[in-house]
Amino acid sequence: MFTVAEMLQPKNQNLRLTKYEYRLVFEKTGRAKYISHLDLMRCFQRAFKRAGIPLWYTQGFNPHAYLMFPLALSLGTDSSVEILDIALTEQLPFDELRDKMNTSMPEGLRIVSAGEPVMKHTEIVFAEYEVDFSVKGQTGDETARCFSDFLSQEKIEVEKRSKKRGANLVDIKPHINLLSISSEGEYARVSLRLPAGSEFNLNTNVVFEAFEAFFGGRIDMIYTKRTKILTRSLENFI
Amino acid sequence: MEEIRNKVEQLLLKTQKPARYIGGEHGSVVKDKSKVDVRFAFCFPDVYDVGMSHLGMKILYGLKNAVPNFWCERVFMPEKDFEALMRENDIPLYALESLDPIRDFDFIGFTLQYELSFTNVLEMLDLAGLPVYAKDRKGLMPIVVGGGPCVCNPEPIAAFFDLFILGEGEEVNLELMHLYERMKPHNPSKEEFLREAAKIEGIYVPQFYDVEYNEDGTVASITPNVPEAKPKIKKRVIPDFDHAYYPDSFVVPFTGIVHDRVVVEVLRGCIRGCRFCQAGFIYRPFREKNIDTIANETKTLCEQTGYEQVSLSSLSTSDHTKIIELLTRLSDYTDKENINLSLPSLRIDTMSKEIVDRLAAVRKSGLTFAPEAGTQRLRDVINKNITEEEIMRTCRLAFSEGYQAVKLYFMLGLPDETDEDIEGIADLAQKVVDLYYETPKNLRGKSVQVSVSCATFVPKPFTPFEFEPQATPEQIKHRQGHLLDCIKSKKIKISYHQMNVSILEGVLARGDRRLADTIYCAWKKGCTLDSWDEHFRFDLWQEAFEECHTDTAFYANRRRSYEEVAPWSHLDYLVSHEFFVRENKKAHEGKTTRNCAEGCSGCGIKKECGGVYCG
Ligand code: SF4
Repeated sequence: MFTVAEMLQPKNQNLRLTKYEYRLVFEKTGRAKYISHLDLMRCFQRAFKRAGIPLWYTQGFNPHAYLMFPLALSLGTDSSVEILDIALTEQLPFDELRDKMNTSMPEGLRIVSAGEPVMKHTEIVFAEYEVDFSVKGQTGDETARCFSDFLSQEKIEVEKRSKKRGANLVDIKPHINLLSISSEGEYARVSLRLPAGSEFNLNTNVVFEAFEAFFGGRIDMIYTKRTKILTRSLENFI
Repeated sequence: MEEIRNKVEQLLLKTQKPARYIGGEHGSVVKDKSKVDVRFAFCFPDVYDVGMSHLGMKILYGLKNAVPNFWCERVFMPEKDFEALMRENDIPLYALESLDPIRDFDFIGFTLQYELSFTNVLEMLDLAGLPVYAKDRKGLMPIVVGGGPCVCNPEPIAAFFDLFILGEGEEVNLELMHLYERMKPHNPSKEEFLREAAKIEGIYVPQFYDVEYNEDGTVASITPNVPEAKPKIKKRVIPDFDHAYYPDSFVVPFTGIVHDRVVVEVLRGCIRGCRFCQAGFIYRPFREKNIDTIANETKTLCEQTGYEQVSLSSLSTSDHTKIIELLTRLSDYTDKENINLSLPSLRIDTMSKEIVDRLAAVRKSGLTFAPEAGTQRLRDVINKNITEEEIMRTCRLAFSEGYQAVKLYFMLGLPDETDEDIEGIADLAQKVVDLYYETPKNLRGKSVQVSVSCATFVPKPFTPFEFEPQATPEQIKHRQGHLLDCIKSKKIKISYHQMNVSILEGVLARGDRRLADTIYCAWKKGCTLDSWDEHFRFDLWQEAFEECHTDTAFYANRRRSYEEVAPWSHLDYLVSHEFFVRENKKAHEGKTTRNCAEGCSGCGIKKECGGVYCG
């Protein structure tokens, strides 16, 4: 056939000029925690479309909706403090924006609040996590003690790969701030504060891989939750 | 099920694109189990990315879930990495909505879209913890059902299924599930249920038929062995296609899939009658939806999904009787809503200047033609209604609009093909290149690229070429080599499909029940995901052919007489055997047949089937 697999693109996409900026706090839990960072972008974009909330498009040759996650969340980590910055072509009351969005979100994603962006993305310096984990054949108490031993090492070196310098060893010990440690049944529970943001970011999985290397075994079950996103002075990022 | 969920969650981070294995997408249907009477696991025997793009699944998923006490869930074939993790951790194949193991469902249904997915069916049954052979699954449930185009000759995989659904599924799926709902409380045996099911039009229960063979290996007879089984099973058709069920909701995946957009079916069937094309015959007759219906469905689905792209689905969109009006109407809407309208399989010679202009303004990339054969003589043999002049006319228009790339699709190994036809492919590609250079410099794009893609022709059941021998690997190799020798310009790129894939396809497409053990053997050796180049293991298939004494040439490369009893001769796709014989004869005489819109050729389809041009 004489076929073209072509698209008719809408004509009037670049005409909206005023933009209104919002900062949303959202929850990513349950099945939704396996949505990758890139997919999350698309997922939100569609949710806005379904909710009939008009996103503002960047101007220019290849217009795209303005959506921005200032801090990535590792796959598999629960959170109710995630941040999404958006721009709309219309002004909407915060509560209305939140409620409208929540009618169109998939399971596990929910807008907690909407507001104005106050701080700059670069002000994000720390994040806090709560991690429950177990090791086969060990009680939570034993696992917790093992984790304390892990943290009391002089150095905790992990391999870091970068395009420029290849693989080199970095000591993460000074960056791990243990806030609390306890146990319940088979599980150990720790709260950690780790560096986050554009300057230096340390994910929990790096810490727990180093932990596995330390005790020479494997973690059986692990549940990670991000609880806070903080500035240098430990204020909540807003 | 909590246990599966916990286990799965711990494994997800170890696999590629984990969102494919956990469900929870917008639009997925989760029901309260205590209020559900019949549970259906809809299995697509390929990976999520492919299966989720499939329109038939979306239709039947919506249809079944629209019944309050039925629950249909999705199941896909895991990639090899996740499959290994599932086996290591004793996770049985589960459905994405409930995360319950599918072995406990009432129905397990597979849609059979291509022959190379057959081993995946076995893999999925086995992963579910079920015996793969139907005879070894003794209890009533789960009932293993197959549907889709490959069901027009399901004989090679008949041994693994309890029943098949022939033709369009919108009505018969519900009839089957309602029958089950009525019978289940009385604890029938599987056979009792299947006997009742066999009475429903369009349902084929393979165990109720005995197949006898002649000494030369051909089928002698296929006879029913219970009174409920009809001698001929007719495919189902939805005559009132405009009012056919269409989903008002799609599952919107998180991860990128092959076709990630709203799809609206605008017409079903095809008027063209290309003699090699199975879809062109088994989906007959040609029916279409009204513009209002299409526009409403588009709007509903765009709103429900939030997709920013909609695509029209059909075998040949341009054949819609009101195509221009339809595109105008739809583009008014998509324009307003900032949605892209994608138009696959559209003949641009029939389009208005305005639409061509708008198409050209977007991306000057994909101009695609499928002449299928290199010379007019051979195109007449296959009844592919495209002339060189038409191709040139469209290319001239396209080049002067700035298009730079042309894709040409051909088949090698067509009936009555000669070296001259191969040279014709090279000539045609060269002419397209020349035409670009004849286009005034100020109009044409920077350069030109003509890609020639050659598939190997595979004769399929229910086509006029079902009698034809498939070209042997040696013949195909010779033709590929000859084509390469004929190409002179650097602007022409040639690509071939894997030949071994076509050989296997050829054997399976026209095979009989004796192939079941061969398929089983190949699967046991590790053949799965055969349609993926990186997983396709022809060496293992060859071992299986040898061990099971399967003569591939008998199935693929033999001319079959018009009188021979085909393995699928008890199935009736409503186009008559006489028509296929007539068309086969005309093919060898190089005579074309007009399309349905130009005039009915009496293929055997009845007026009652709702065809626009029939009767
Ligand atoms: S009956 Fe005639 S019009 Fe209808 S599908 Fe067959 S050939 Fe075409």
